[in-house]
Amino acid sequence: MTTTESPILELRGVSKRFGAVQALQGVDLALRPGEVVALVGDNGAGKSTLIKGIAGIHPFDEGETSFDGRPVAIHGPHDAADLGIEIVYQDLALADNLDVVENMYLGRERTNRFGLLSEEAMERDAADTMSGLAVTTLSSVRQKVAGLSGGQRQTVAVGKAVMWNSRVVILDEPTAALGVAQTRQVLDLVNRLGNQGLAVLLVSHNLHDVFEVADRIVVLRLGQLVGDLDASQVNQQQVVEAITAGTLTSVPGMATHATGPGAKRGDDAAEPSADAAESGGAAASTDPTGPTDTDGDRADGETTP
Amino acid sequence: MNDTVTTLDETSASNGGTSWRDRLGDTQNLGLIAVLVLAFVAGWVTSPDTFLDANNFLTILKSAAVIGVVSVGMTFVIIGGGIDLSVGAIVALASVWGTTVASQEMGLWGMLFAFLAVGTATGLVNGVLIAYGKIVSFIATLAMLVSARGLAQYISDGQTQIVEVSAFRSLNNGDVFGIPNLVVMLIVVAAIGWFVLNRTTFGRRTFAVGGNPEAARLAGINVKRQTMLLFTLSGLACGIAAIMIVARTTTGSSTHGNLYELDAIGAVVIGGTSLAGGRGTMVGTVLGVLVFTVMTNIFVLNNLTTDLQNIAKGVIIVLAVLLQQRTQRGSDGAHA
Repeated sequence: MTTTESPILELRGVSKRFGAVQALQGVDLALRPGEVVALVGDNGAGKSTLIKGIAGIHPFDEGETSFDGRPVAIHGPHDAADLGIEIVYQDLALADNLDVVENMYLGRERTNRFGLLSEEAMERDAADTMSGLAVTTLSSVRQKVAGLSGGQRQTVAVGKAVMWNSRVVILDEPTAALGVAQTRQVLDLVNRLGNQGLAVLLVSHNLHDVFEVADRIVVLRLGQLVGDLDASQVNQQQVVEAITAGTLTSVPGMATHATGPGAKRGDDAAEPSADAAESGGAAASTDPTGPTDTDGDRADGETTP
Repeated sequence: MNDTVTTLDETSASNGGTSWRDRLGDTQNLGLIAVLVLAFVAGWVTSPDTFLDANNFLTILKSAAVIGVVSVGMTFVIIGGGIDLSVGAIVALASVWGTTVASQEMGLWGMLFAFLAVGTATGLVNGVLIAYGKIVSFIATLAMLVSARGLAQYISDGQTQIVEVSAFRSLNNGDVFGIPNLVVMLIVVAAIGWFVLNRTTFGRRTFAVGGNPEAARLAGINVKRQTMLLFTLSGLACGIAAIMIVARTTTGSSTHGNLYELDAIGAVVIGGTSLAGGRGTMVGTVLGVLVFTVMTNIFVLNNLTTDLQNIAKGVIIVLAVLLQQRTQRGSDGAHA
């Protein structure tokens, strides 16, 4: 809840286009130390595009990125890593045949002055990182990842991300494939990351999880920012509304054709333009069944307060 | 928030091994040593006079040396998720190229350079085709198998090229503290191979690329470059093996290294390296080579014809893969 501090990572007006599809349009986002920000939105809203832009996998076409107040250019994964931005991917990106330590150091192995692997140092620091995160579920950091449960794997992936003096950690659907106890475990971990002063961006479909850990909720819809909400001031219903019918500043698909009521464009005509976006947007990028699915998901979330 | 989350994770926690020690494959290698002992007993029983003869041991070790060096390179390639079917052909090509009149005119060092350069360059071609041309390693090296041996025949005009350089001819007969030079070469190559595989970033990344290339890529590893280097390394090993086979036979020939791909892959698989990539040990490979060579030797001593030997080798490889699949299913649970 420390919104007074200046942001570590700040995006201003970032856009990304894939061919005919405007995946992101003029999105602003600020991540502050110690703050857990949830990024929500329907399928195709641009969540993945946004984090891939931050990660440098698909750099933004337009807009400014600043880190610690300085403008930066992130052109590739290494640029992001050098700044201290770490991403925990949905598919976890762990090698099953390697153990926990080997995975945590993968691609950045520590070596001694003869260029040989410093196994003991890596093992010690990996264990320290895990205990620093109060991870008590791993019996050994020399376990092969193949033998770990979903929650433990997620823990390893998070541990890998925070080990590098990272300042910003982005988690992509960290609880998507987990059971109740393991989800609990990962959410606690997310809270601890925030308490340690990292800026955390949590991408999630599960509003229950989001309300559990987030200080702020950022809503994307059809590639545009339609809500930047204080989690303590809103309820799930309001977030669902923003996800499904948030006010768009411009209407995708309509701007180029310049036909229909949406073409008027403008914040004053909120209701008609949102309606137009429903049809225009479906043609442009999203699955037409998206909104109904979303309602179903949210209903799930609401039954477990 | 309560930090003491004691979880009830279903699948895990019981099989916590230490992986880099696992990598030495303690139990599996003990099994191989047992097989080796059994093979020795079998050899002694079937041909008591000839098998335990010191000269026979030298023969075993020398032929193990050549195929062993090839197998060290093959171990890297297979752990890295590929396969190299062209090793025998590369040995033939390097052996021919290094023994041409032009090469021999450059003397011992010129010849040595030619063997290594031809092997490495051919491996590099494999690597580039596979990593950057995105051709499956099986196909790319199969094509190289045909064309490298074809080129070897073309260069040598189908003739056996005799080595006249006396310094080179003496390589085969020399020894270090009583250990034949060729065997010393295997020991050195295998030791370096073990070291690189287990103690360096290159080795670690080889396991990563073979186990989960996508994870390796996301971790910032240059998977293509790693793949290319692995095949180049295998080519270099073939260049070294070419030196050894030419020293043994004092000839360069396009027929050298025939079926080496079978012997090397067989030895590597018997040694416990997974054909699926990501798993394997150098110690296992060396033991696999010894098992394979001793068995071949026993077949020869018992006057099995080459045809029958090849049938037996094929059967042994299939049995080894079957055994490996069983033990792996048993050992890592969820991972099929």
